[in-house]
Amino acid sequence: MMEKLYLIARIADTRVALRSRSIHSVVAVGTPVEVPAAPPHVAGLFALRSRVFTLIDPHVVVGLAPVPAIAGQRVVVVDVAEHGYALLADAIEDVCFIDAPEARVTGKLLPGWARVAEAMIEHEGQSLLVVDPAHFITLPALKAA
Amino acid sequence: MDDLLTDFLAETAEILAEAGGALVAWEADPADRARLDAIFRLVHTIKGSSSFLALPRVTALSHAAEDALDQVRRGHRSANAELVTGVLGIVDRLSQLCALLGQAGAEPPGDDRDVIAALAADGETPEAPETTADGGEIQLRREDDFAIDAQGWRTIRVPLPLLDSVMTGVTDIVLARNEFARMLRETGADPSLIASFDRLSDSIAGMRQSVSQMRMQRIDKLFAPLPRIVRDLAQDLGKKIRFATSGGEVELDREMMENIRDPLIHIVRNAIDHGIEKLDDRVAAGKDITAGISVSARQSGNQIEIEVRDDGRGLSPDALVQKAIAARLLSAADARALTPREKLDLIFRPGFSTASKITAISGRGVGMDIVKANVEKIGGVVDLRNDEGRGLAVVLRVPMTLTIISGLMVRAAGQYFAIPRGSVREILLETNDSVRIERIGGGELVTVRGEPFPLLRLETVLGRQRDPGDDVEDRALVLVRPGQGQSYALSVAAIHDHEELVIKPAAPMIMATGLYAGTTLPDNGRPVLLLDVQGILAAAAIDASETGRGLDRTVEADASAAAERGAAQLLLFRDVGGRTRGVRLSVIERVEEVPALALFESAGRIQVQIGDDIFPVHAARLPEDHGALKLLRLYDGQMVLCYPIEAVIDIVRLPDMTQPAAAPGLIAGVALIGGEPVEIVDPFWLMEQYAPGVAAAAPAARQPVCRLADDRDGWGGNFLAPILRNAGYRVVPENSDEAADVLLCLTDAGICAQDGGDVPVIRLRASAAAASADDDTVYRYDRGALLDALRRHVGGGRP
Repeated sequence: MMEKLYLIARIADTRVALRSRSIHSVVAVGTPVEVPAAPPHVAGLFALRSRVFTLIDPHVVVGLAPVPAIAGQRVVVVDVAEHGYALLADAIEDVCFIDAPEARVTGKLLPGWARVAEAMIEHEGQSLLVVDPAHFITLPALKAA
Repeated sequence: MDDLLTDFLAETAEILAEAGGALVAWEADPADRARLDAIFRLVHTIKGSSSFLALPRVTALSHAAEDALDQVRRGHRSANAELVTGVLGIVDRLSQLCALLGQAGAEPPGDDRDVIAALAADGETPEAPETTADGGEIQLRREDDFAIDAQGWRTIRVPLPLLDSVMTGVTDIVLARNEFARMLRETGADPSLIASFDRLSDSIAGMRQSVSQMRMQRIDKLFAPLPRIVRDLAQDLGKKIRFATSGGEVELDREMMENIRDPLIHIVRNAIDHGIEKLDDRVAAGKDITAGISVSARQSGNQIEIEVRDDGRGLSPDALVQKAIAARLLSAADARALTPREKLDLIFRPGFSTASKITAISGRGVGMDIVKANVEKIGGVVDLRNDEGRGLAVVLRVPMTLTIISGLMVRAAGQYFAIPRGSVREILLETNDSVRIERIGGGELVTVRGEPFPLLRLETVLGRQRDPGDDVEDRALVLVRPGQGQSYALSVAAIHDHEELVIKPAAPMIMATGLYAGTTLPDNGRPVLLLDVQGILAAAAIDASETGRGLDRTVEADASAAAERGAAQLLLFRDVGGRTRGVRLSVIERVEEVPALALFESAGRIQVQIGDDIFPVHAARLPEDHGALKLLRLYDGQMVLCYPIEAVIDIVRLPDMTQPAAAPGLIAGVALIGGEPVEIVDPFWLMEQYAPGVAAAAPAARQPVCRLADDRDGWGGNFLAPILRNAGYRVVPENSDEAADVLLCLTDAGICAQDGGDVPVIRLRASAAAASADDDTVYRYDRGALLDALRRHVGGGRP
């Protein structure tokens, strides 16, 4: 059943579905601390209990202008290679079971989205991109340079 | 796998590593009975535990080794290389068996007769040991065998992840405590609640300390396999090597130890393979054919320094350059521009190997570049001390623990950063007089007491703007020493404080900036980035090496700074009349700033109220303006006197030469400071003016009486008497009838006009220099010597 559980959220101005098993938790972020000289998609650091998480701005990853984090904004916490990251979400909508199968992405996506989207899924009469949060952590080489 | 077996394997692995090292050391000195006993006990322990777990092969092997060693102990057999090789063979077989046991969980079948027979090299074959547990004869233990086992019960094994989770737990508790403390402060809780909360805080702090100690281990464990490696390698290569370790008691975080194990072994292998010459070459070079390699550890502050030193051929910078060019790592033109140190650092370049051909020993694709990378990964530094032709020392400097370091918190661009305290040499305010900042060709440099440093502004390094809220007065320089022979000044907006910090690695893309060494959560619960002082240097691309910066001047500056510390210091100030005056720094308790309204006139004197205290002020009248007023607070150990000033100018060294004033009074004399005459205030005279009735305040106990003789110019009465009274003596004039305890003779001619009779006499002289070696007179401005002399003669006085 777990593999059918999705988190529906608005990330980088787009409604997406995140597979629940790839997500650690959803929390509210405190005031982040900036990281000077870090890649542009690093929005800062924040502490949750005694762990320090790196805040990622998905806008930058998909090629949009950065949007500053607001204290209390909700973030999607993921663990990638033993490091904790948090994706800034515009809105967290729901956690729900989607019985429909994941389908191949049809249509041409923007390059930024093409890199993070793995599939599409039909939910309540709408097509949602299924994204892997781990893809948001690293920027493509041409951007980082 | 069952817990008992896991414990056995962990313990045995440790014992085997230790035994290998101990055996090699014993081979070098077979007469060392204590060492033999220690090895015997180790083997005995394995045998005992294995028979418990029904591991017949392990029991048989350890029994054979124990047997052979026992024969040596009893004098039936002599210690020689064959015996040691035989026992080492058994140790190796045991290690293999343990590895298999760890994988399979059961002892694999096999035959160990080969290694057991090898041990019986003396010809006499020991009877095949019983291979069953019940048959294994357990020898009656001797007294000394108990000592070590008794200790074994006092420690327990704990899995590392458990320790880590305790550590995280404690950090969580600390953060929760801080949150709680903030809430208590804001709600204004009652004192009894705060008191018990403080008690909780103290125990949490203690616990945090203990937890970090739990992860500490003696560095001995790291050294244990080395003697074996050296022995085997030296035999393979036909070299003779004396190996020594020291500082094994130094403690290091367990995780840290894992990280430097391989680099250390690699460096030792390198030393044997490349560093130590062949026997013929050593003879030709006039060296002892037995080469020496030593590994030593020592703790300095928060860092551990591990040095691997050999007396081999050292590194040849020119040969390194040739090889680098041959390996196409470097063009000939670039090579010419290299400094000697940069030439040495070539061995850290990827793809560089110092051996002409890659040998089986060190050339396994693991070069010094990997060593360096591994050590730097954990915040360490690799340093070379080369003495071409005579040897090389490789120094690894690593932080004591990965998890808790002492960090200096600084501010820049409106946020906080931490700098590892271990690499901070000095902290100075930019406004300090010994600091000179210059802009040359777009770069900045700072000269501190004559020593120049490249200057980096932290905001610039981080690509940020200065925070407009920063106070220029707060800007400080942190003199950083990222590695031996390197230093630079980092300018920050302000210094905050220093804290014990729990360091965690930051996310890879943050580490990739090269500017940060990790993240930490200080007590306020907001993440702080730990700066990588070495990485900042690389990012700024500046040469921070100290060579050629005029080190001689540094030595000079250091010497003069030391002399300055030894000498008395003078506080220069501008008094309310606009004159520059000085007073000995040691009599000043502090500089107070008070509103003019705090001064009032009472009983014909000006007084000041500071807090709940009222002090006399040296002033003729109340100040006219109503602004703030600066007061020097002079303190003689009993009373406070405030001296109004306009501004503090500087603190300078009290010159040796002062011109005494003609008449006693506020000014004791004049000294030349920086070419300008400066009046030196006489605090003794000042204090005397305001002392609350010397006679009235005198305690009932009898004070020793000093009589001043030959006080022709009144110096004694006006200059000396206050000092003496201050020191607890009663001073009577020459013509007094009162019986004196001591006579102070103020003439320098050596003849005193008045006969002292049986009263002790102290003679004062006017010149600073003694007339001769046996001159027992005291220079009249030498207060200390005078009071000492008085105490010697009559006792009393206050020290």
